[in-house]
Amino acid sequence: MIGGVYRTDVQTYGRGLEGLVAGTTSIGYIDGEEGRLVYRGYAVEELAANASFEEVTYLLLNGDLPDDYQLDEWHHEIASWRNPPEEAFKALGRIPNDAHPLAKYRTMLTVAACHIPEADATDLGAQQRRPARILSWAGSLASAAIRHLHNEPPVPPRMDLGYAAHFLYQALGRVPTEEERKAFEASLIVQAEHGLHAAAFAALVVISTGADLGSAVLAGMGALSGVRHGGANQLAWEVLEGLEDPDHARKWAKEKLAEGYRFPGFGHRVYKCPDPRVRVMEPYAEALLRSKGLENRWETYLALRDEVEQALGPRGIFANVDSITGLVYHPLGLPPSAFPIPFCLAIQTGWMAHCLEYLPEGRMIEPGAVYVG
Amino acid sequence: MSHYNTLSGTFSWRDDKIEWPVTSDVGPGLEGVIASDTAVSWLDPTSGSLSYRDVPIERLAGIRSFEEVAYLLITGDRDREEDELAAFRSRLRSSRALPNEVVQLIRSLDPLIHPTRLLRAGVSVLGCHELSGDEDMSGERHWRELRVVGQVAALVSEIARHRAGSEEHQYDERRSLAECMLVALLDRPPEPIEVETLDMLWVLYADHGLDAPTFTSMIVASTLADPYYNVVAGLSALRGPRLGGAGEQVLEQILDLADEVYAVDWVHEMVEKGGRIAGFGHRIYHMPDPRVVILRKQMATLARARGRGELFTIARAVEETATALLAHKGIHVNINFYAALLFHLLGADGPLVPVMYVVGRMAGLVARVHEALENPKLYRPLSQYLGTPDREMDQGGVE
Repeated sequence: MIGGVYRTDVQTYGRGLEGLVAGTTSIGYIDGEEGRLVYRGYAVEELAANASFEEVTYLLLNGDLPDDYQLDEWHHEIASWRNPPEEAFKALGRIPNDAHPLAKYRTMLTVAACHIPEADATDLGAQQRRPARILSWAGSLASAAIRHLHNEPPVPPRMDLGYAAHFLYQALGRVPTEEERKAFEASLIVQAEHGLHAAAFAALVVISTGADLGSAVLAGMGALSGVRHGGANQLAWEVLEGLEDPDHARKWAKEKLAEGYRFPGFGHRVYKCPDPRVRVMEPYAEALLRSKGLENRWETYLALRDEVEQALGPRGIFANVDSITGLVYHPLGLPPSAFPIPFCLAIQTGWMAHCLEYLPEGRMIEPGAVYVG
Repeated sequence: MSHYNTLSGTFSWRDDKIEWPVTSDVGPGLEGVIASDTAVSWLDPTSGSLSYRDVPIERLAGIRSFEEVAYLLITGDRDREEDELAAFRSRLRSSRALPNEVVQLIRSLDPLIHPTRLLRAGVSVLGCHELSGDEDMSGERHWRELRVVGQVAALVSEIARHRAGSEEHQYDERRSLAECMLVALLDRPPEPIEVETLDMLWVLYADHGLDAPTFTSMIVASTLADPYYNVVAGLSALRGPRLGGAGEQVLEQILDLADEVYAVDWVHEMVEKGGRIAGFGHRIYHMPDPRVVILRKQMATLARARGRGELFTIARAVEETATALLAHKGIHVNINFYAALLFHLLGADGPLVPVMYVVGRMAGLVARVHEALENPKLYRPLSQYLGTPDREMDQGGVE
C-alpha cells in the first residue's frame, strides 16, 4: 500500500515527481515496456472480455473477484443508490445550458456532497461504505448533466440494468443494444484503474487530510478535466472529426509531423509501446462504427494512427486510450463534450481503491518546495 | 544533479536554483520530497521565520492590507507600481459581484450544511457561469484566477449571511475585501481595528508552502484544468480534521471554558489522558510559530476593545499551561489557536472558520498555481506493485 512508505529512503526524480516511487500498492500495475495493465493480478484484456464493470469495481476495491453471492449483494448495493439528492438535479436549473457537461457534473457532485449520509464521519468503516453510493450517484448525475446540454430532462432510474447499461439508459433515454452495452462496458473496465496518474494522486492528497472519500473523488475529477488528462479524448476526437477520409488523414498527419505537432491522443508518460487499452477497444470500436455505417470514420482513424505511429513509434509514441474511446462514444450517440465523463465514472474506482488502501496508516501528504526567489 | 539531505534537519530548503532531476530523502507522507521550486514564499525551518517574495511577514501583517499582499504574492512586484496595484485591486473587488443564480443556489440549500461544502458548490456553479463549454482561456488565465480570489470572498460572505438567517449581502465596490466581509458578518460598518484584524489574519494565512489545498490545486493545474476545477479540488482538501477543521475544534474547546482556573485544570486533564488540544502542534514548526506572536498581540487588543478580555485571559492560560507541558516534545501553539479566536471575535462561528481562513490562502494558492503553469509538468509519481502475482480468471468464467 501507498501508506507503506514507513521508512525513509533516497530517490531521484524529476519535475512533476516523475520517477518518484510514492509508495507501494497491491491494486494494480502498468508495464510500460511490454504494454500490460493488470488489476489485482488480472490482465485488463481478460477482464474486459469476461467480467462486468461491477465485478471489476468489486475486484479493485476489495482485492478479489466476487463469488455469486457477493456479486449479487454488490449489484444490489449499487442499484440502491440510483436516486441522488433532488437538490443536485435542481442545481442544473441554475447553470447555463452551454457550460461544459463535466463542469455541470462537478457542480451536481458538489451539491450532492451537501447531502451525503454520515457527512462528518471519516472513520475507515464510514469511508468503506461510500464507494457504491459514489459510483451510483455519479452515473445518474453525469447522465443528467449530459442531457442538460440539449435541455432534456433527466431519465428516472431503473433497477433491472447493470451499471454500464443503466448509465447509457439514463444518458441516452433508451436501453442500449447488447453490442453497444458490451463496447461501453469494456471501455469502463479498461479505464477503471491506472496507477498514480495526476488525478489519483490529487485524490490521495485529499484523502490524506482526513477528508471524506467523495471529496477525494472531486479532486480527482478536477485533474481529470484537464486537456492533458481526461479532457484529451474530446480533443483527440475533434481532431479526427476534422479529417474527411483516410487520404486526408495521411496527408494532414504528414504535414503536422513535419511541424513537430503534438497529436492529442498519442504518447503516454508510462507507455512507451502500444497502449493495451487501445488494443482491447479497437475491435469494439470498429464493429460499432461499421454497424452504424461509419466505416469511413474507422478507416480515417486507422490511417491517422498508422501514419503517426510509423513516424513516432520508434520514439515510443503510440495511440493512447484517449484516441480510441471517442470512437465508441460517438456511435453510441454521446456528444464529444461528454466523452470525458465515462472515463471519470470508470477511473474513480481506482482512485477510491487507492484512497481506501492509503487510509489505515497513511500520513498527510505534504512535500516541500525549495525557495529560489 | 544535486543530492539533498532534505530530512537531515540541516537542509535549508533555500537554493539559487534547482537542477532537475534531484536526489532527496523521501519520507512518509512524501516528507522531504521536493515537489517544486518556488519564489512565492520562504519558510526558514531553523528560525521559523516566514517571508513572502522576500518580504518578512512582520513587515506585512498589520501594515499592508490583504489586497496589497495578494498583489505582492501573485505578481511578485515588490515595488508596488501604483497603476498596476490599482488595476489589480479593481479586478479583485469587482469580481465580488456574483451572478444571481449562484446566490440563489446557495440560498436554496440548508443553511446548516457545513460552509466548506456550500463554498465548494458555490465555486463550482460559479465556474459554470464564468466559462461556457468551449471558451478558450489562453492569455486570460492570469485574470481568471485572480477573479476567483474575490469570488471566494464574496461566496463566503453570502454563506455567512445565509447561515445567520440574514438577507442577501449587498456588496459595495468601494469597500475592501476585508471591510465587505465584516459588513456581511456584523451587519454594521466595521471598526478600524476589526478591519486591521481581518486583513492581518488573511495576510498571515495567505501562503504556507505546499499545504494540502495548495498542492492539490497545483496537481490539478498541471493537467491544464480550468481554475474552478483547481479551486474545487483545493477546497476538497480543506476541511479534513487534520487541516482546516482544526480552527473549529479550537472554538469548541476554548469557548466552553468558564475561566482561567478551569482552563488550567482542563489542560492538565487533557494532557494526562493523552487528548489533543486543538491549535497545538505542527508538522513543520517544532519551534514557536512567528505568526502566533503577531496574532497573540492582536488578540489582546481586539478582545479588550470588544469587552471580551476574559477570552484572552482564558486563551493565555491554556497556551501557557499547554506550552509548559508539551514544549519539550516539540509541540507548540500554532496559528490556528489565536486565529480561530480572532475570527470568533469578528463574528464568525466555528464552522465558518475554515472558509474564513481559505479566503486568505487563496492568494498563495493562485500564486503557486501561476508558478506551476509557467513550466507545466504533469504530476505523476509511481507506485511499486506488491500485490497478487499474475493470475487468470476461473475456467468457466463468472458470467
